[in-house]
Amino acid sequence: MKNCFRRPKRISFYLACGLLAACSSDLAPRGARESRGEALRFGAQIALGRAEANPAAPFLRAAPDGRLFAVWTEDAAARESNSSGHAAFHGSGKMAPSPLRDLLIAASADGGATWSSARRVNRSDEAIQGEENGPKLAFGADHRAYAVWSIPGEKGDKTRANIRFAMDDGQGGFGSARTLNEVKDAARFALIEFSPDGSLLVAWIDRRIDSPRPRQLYLMKIAGDGRALTKNYPAGEGLCECCKLGIAFADGGKTVYIADRQVSEKQIRNHVLRRSSDGGNSFAAPVEISDDGWQVASCPHSGPSLGRDSRGWLHVSWFTLGRSESEAGIYYSVSKDGGKSFAPRRLVQANRAPEVLYNSLAVGADDTVYLAWSNLDAENRAQIFFRAIGADGRWSEIQQLSRARGDASRPVLALGPHRLHVAWTETDGETSRALLRSARIGR
Amino acid sequence: MKRFKTATIALKLAPRALLIALLWASPDAASAAQLLEQASPRPGPAAGRAAPGFQLHTLDGKPISLESYRGKPLVLNFFASWCDPCREEMPLINELAANSEKGNYRVLGIAVEDSRAALDEFKKEARLIFPMALDLNNAVKRSYRIFGPPATFFIDAEGVVRAMVLGPLTQERALEALRKTAAAKN
Repeated sequence: MKNCFRRPKRISFYLACGLLAACSSDLAPRGARESRGEALRFGAQIALGRAEANPAAPFLRAAPDGRLFAVWTEDAAARESNSSGHAAFHGSGKMAPSPLRDLLIAASADGGATWSSARRVNRSDEAIQGEENGPKLAFGADHRAYAVWSIPGEKGDKTRANIRFAMDDGQGGFGSARTLNEVKDAARFALIEFSPDGSLLVAWIDRRIDSPRPRQLYLMKIAGDGRALTKNYPAGEGLCECCKLGIAFADGGKTVYIADRQVSEKQIRNHVLRRSSDGGNSFAAPVEISDDGWQVASCPHSGPSLGRDSRGWLHVSWFTLGRSESEAGIYYSVSKDGGKSFAPRRLVQANRAPEVLYNSLAVGADDTVYLAWSNLDAENRAQIFFRAIGADGRWSEIQQLSRARGDASRPVLALGPHRLHVAWTETDGETSRALLRSARIGR
Repeated sequence: MKRFKTATIALKLAPRALLIALLWASPDAASAAQLLEQASPRPGPAAGRAAPGFQLHTLDGKPISLESYRGKPLVLNFFASWCDPCREEMPLINELAANSEKGNYRVLGIAVEDSRAALDEFKKEARLIFPMALDLNNAVKRSYRIFGPPATFFIDAEGVVRAMVLGPLTQERALEALRKTAAAKN
């Protein structure tokens, strides 16, 4: 009899949840309520690199000629020893060798279906970092490729790292890499983008001024031929010690937007947008994207993604735990006034369990916003999920793209001619794979 | 009696029916389903509650479990070699490990989202003296409901969590938590 009285309580509880789900704009994107966009048809999963070398940390970028390029890292130990370089033992000789990882690059001329033989980007043996701090790639207008990656500092500390830069040598390979940060052992989370003004902009999180503790945003401009156009220069401060940054351009490169996460004295970590009107030389005060109130003293290790559409709207996705675990998830917002203000955040997908989720965003030529992220499945394994927001505001269904036996994480998106590509790292025990799926977009 | 049974079945099915209706009506089925899942979250570790069990291997291949640490308090530290605040608190964890015999407790580090090679290197680089294990596929991290390292749990001799610090550990907090853990009576 006692149970009979308890059950109605439980029903009321579910009813309350139902009402909440139906009413909350966070939980059900308004656009989605109106009507749903079509789900994309993704092709079969393709593995990048050699399975025995544990490929990981893939990054995708379409070249101006339409070819899709992928970079990823692999165990250097699995490579046949014909390297001209020497093992990097962190300089001091006292440290154990880092787990040496190579940076590989390959191209696909058929929309990701088949791939060229992989080429090694790093000439000397290096402990190339992955995860949130993985390698990045950019292309100049003349199809020249440029890569950045991080290696641990001299004492082997990954959090006091160095940013390496190498460019296509025009002869089918890459030139020798050089370190971009002028203060050693102080930089991580590098991002490289080719500006419409014809220069390369490299941004990273820097800790050369280690006190006050929040990190600085540093930039450097490089010419298409690899010459440094500027020294390292600070563009902002108060950054969270991690993670990846987002960059977008407007007005032919005169306007530069950078998204990052700030950390307050009370350890509240909200995402912000910084805007430069002089080609990235100086930035206005950051604008808060959303007051999530995520107070965390630990390492959030998941950064935002930023994209700009043809209307000049800025789209941002990010992970936050918000003010309580029940708020945790991947969120999205849009600015229709060039980053002066942002619409209230909308939930892309809620966390299924306590877990930091990773996200990626890309904006198509037709202004469709594509979102990919990781989340846990019913068996508590991290998987890759996807949805799109049409230019008309319609949200597509959530699609699960991976079926990892272990965990699938850190998705990256790239757009090519009429194709959308999603790559991610899948780990299972001590092995990893870099995987890719593609879908046709547009009509 | 029959009416009572019918009512019981109806009450049992009602939440599911509501869930189906909600999924049908909601424009965002997945989010709605997750909302219901989240409405009754899994119990996580909390002071006074039994610590979630685990079975791992130390870096030198020795099998360990929560059970194997019974009999003495355990300082369980979740960390990662790539994590800034984890690196900053490592001297303190090392100090706790150095004093563990005298203090009659043990220290175990569990590395999350890390690799064996990176961990081996970190151990040598930071001269870490406590045993550590790699949480492959993040099962332990998830059972302890950790959003980001570092996190430290103080578990008493009977396997009950007595204190937890989500974020960097300070000496004061560590000593207070150890006192609380040692004094715990089950």
